[in-house]
Amino acid sequence: MLAFTAPRIAAQPERTQTEMRDSFLYAGLQWGCWGVWFWVLASGEVLLGEVPWRKALLVWGVVALAALCLTHALRGASKVDGWFALPVRPLVTRALISMAVVSAILCGIAVLVSLGVYGSPVSRMSANVLYKLPVSVQVLLQGVAISATIVAWVALYFGFTSQRWRYRAELRQAQLSEALQEAELLLLKFQLNPHFLFNALNGVRALIADEPRKAQDAVTQLARTLRYTLASGDAELVTLGREMEMVNDYLSLESLRLADRLDVVRDIEPSALDARIPGMLMQTLVENAIKHGIAPLRHGGTLHISARVVEKELIIEVSNPRPVGDDHVPREGVGLRSASGRLRLLFGAAATLNLDLLDPGRATARVRLPA
Amino acid sequence: MRALIVDDEPLARRELRRLLSGFSRVEIIGEASDVDEARQSIESLSPDIVFLDVQMPGGTGFDLLAQLDRMPRIIFTTAYDQYAVKAFDVSALDYLLKPIEPDRLAAALKKVEATTAPAPASESSSASTSASASSSALPLQGGASSPSASTTPNATRADGPMEQLFVRDGPRCWFVPLREVSVFTAEGNYVRLQWGKDKPLLGRSLIALEEKLDAKRFFRANRRQIVNLDFIEKVELGLGGRLHIQLRDGPEVEISRRQARQFRARMSI
Repeated sequence: MLAFTAPRIAAQPERTQTEMRDSFLYAGLQWGCWGVWFWVLASGEVLLGEVPWRKALLVWGVVALAALCLTHALRGASKVDGWFALPVRPLVTRALISMAVVSAILCGIAVLVSLGVYGSPVSRMSANVLYKLPVSVQVLLQGVAISATIVAWVALYFGFTSQRWRYRAELRQAQLSEALQEAELLLLKFQLNPHFLFNALNGVRALIADEPRKAQDAVTQLARTLRYTLASGDAELVTLGREMEMVNDYLSLESLRLADRLDVVRDIEPSALDARIPGMLMQTLVENAIKHGIAPLRHGGTLHISARVVEKELIIEVSNPRPVGDDHVPREGVGLRSASGRLRLLFGAAATLNLDLLDPGRATARVRLPA
Repeated sequence: MRALIVDDEPLARRELRRLLSGFSRVEIIGEASDVDEARQSIESLSPDIVFLDVQMPGGTGFDLLAQLDRMPRIIFTTAYDQYAVKAFDVSALDYLLKPIEPDRLAAALKKVEATTAPAPASESSSASTSASASSSALPLQGGASSPSASTTPNATRADGPMEQLFVRDGPRCWFVPLREVSVFTAEGNYVRLQWGKDKPLLGRSLIALEEKLDAKRFFRANRRQIVNLDFIEKVELGLGGRLHIQLRDGPEVEISRRQARQFRARMSI
């Protein structure tokens, strides 16, 4: 199978590269900061709490490790649930709740560890520094100190990451509009294929005298085709049903030109008609099939167009005979490449477009995208 | 003028037929929808003029011309093909853009009539044909044939030797009058023509070409070359009794031992 992958696929490894850089940065900061935190508190425990190093390391080692694991789990949860794609308010709510939950768990762990090691709910350091206060207040104040660390962690992590997210989203948006502009140009140049246009006009001219009704229909179809093509730069997505209206007009015009050399078989599930696709996608596939497959064949052939929805995925197939041994892919690529690039930007990895040239006498273009 | 219409689209043929019906001097003798059909029609019907579409299934109009041994007058028709149109412009070939404008068609036909004026003509008309013969692209009939041949009305008779070739090399294409070619040199399965300043490559083999050439004018000098005898400036005797020919605008050509005797006989030396 020959997969059509736009030049923009190069953006894929690039993105994972920045993701990896982010992961390294995160891991370094996470281990480094909690490590420093651990050493500061353990040293404090030895100096102020007057306990042997063994006990200090055990108490604060357990707490620091727990803190590291809890914050890491928090990061995992935020990533999986896509918190950073959320608007500011729900994001802040989630940040506050997670601060409270993580702090509470960590304070509990600190209390349990102290109980286990010293038989008292506070560390020796806190007990010695706060010796004038009752034990319950000591526990509370130690809890505040630990919580402050977590609050700082969450604030830093969420602040930093949401900034990056917003920046990335803007970048993606900019890329998308750039690609749309490019697609618009390509549409004007290729989809609004001058060869097709002038041949259609020539056909209309031939019909005017003897078959004026047919000529009128052809002019209407041509006008609709042009209007749709020109408008397709605006809307990102259209329903397949709307796109098929245009494709049908286009096919009628091509039938005028190719006469009995073109047969069309349509197999479109009614449920697929409401699925949304990038404008001109189906048109590009059909036009390629005719231009490179059926038109160069002396006796023409049958064009199969099918669309169906399977497990929340729209599957489009356009299949056509083609001249045997013509594996001249690069020239076929122009329209398909732009379509493929647009799909990638709109749907990411969820959409695919490939051209199957395994059969030497056939070409089948397949598109899958989320319905 | 007897015309053949070559186009894969029935509607395009119908439209051209209708446009041509306004010209009483043009008689449409046939239609063809692809390269093979067109080649057969041209060989069997010998049209004076062919309206030739560029994009067709199974080969382009250029492919057709490259296969032809005898060239009718050609007017290309195309809807939109920027590369072909560029080639037409560079090479000064006649072409019409579809939808065809009646005025343009009239102008093109007038031009054809001017250059293919009936041959048994006065001094002035033969002067005009030989004048246009020097232009590289155009004269397909009167102009291409030698002055002696122009007394026959139809120079594209099927039995005579080939007078003219269509050659496409890169963006340029030419109708090359063969009598203006000084030497043909084989390059693999192709043949390089030495034609004035140009050296276009022809997609035929030297052996296939030799069969079609006028034996009175062209001589097989060696395994790789055929020379135009009209271009010989001098003949020298080289080492070992080999003959060397100096051509007027070409390189020196050596005559192989096998061919030397025949050459002496031809040139009576």
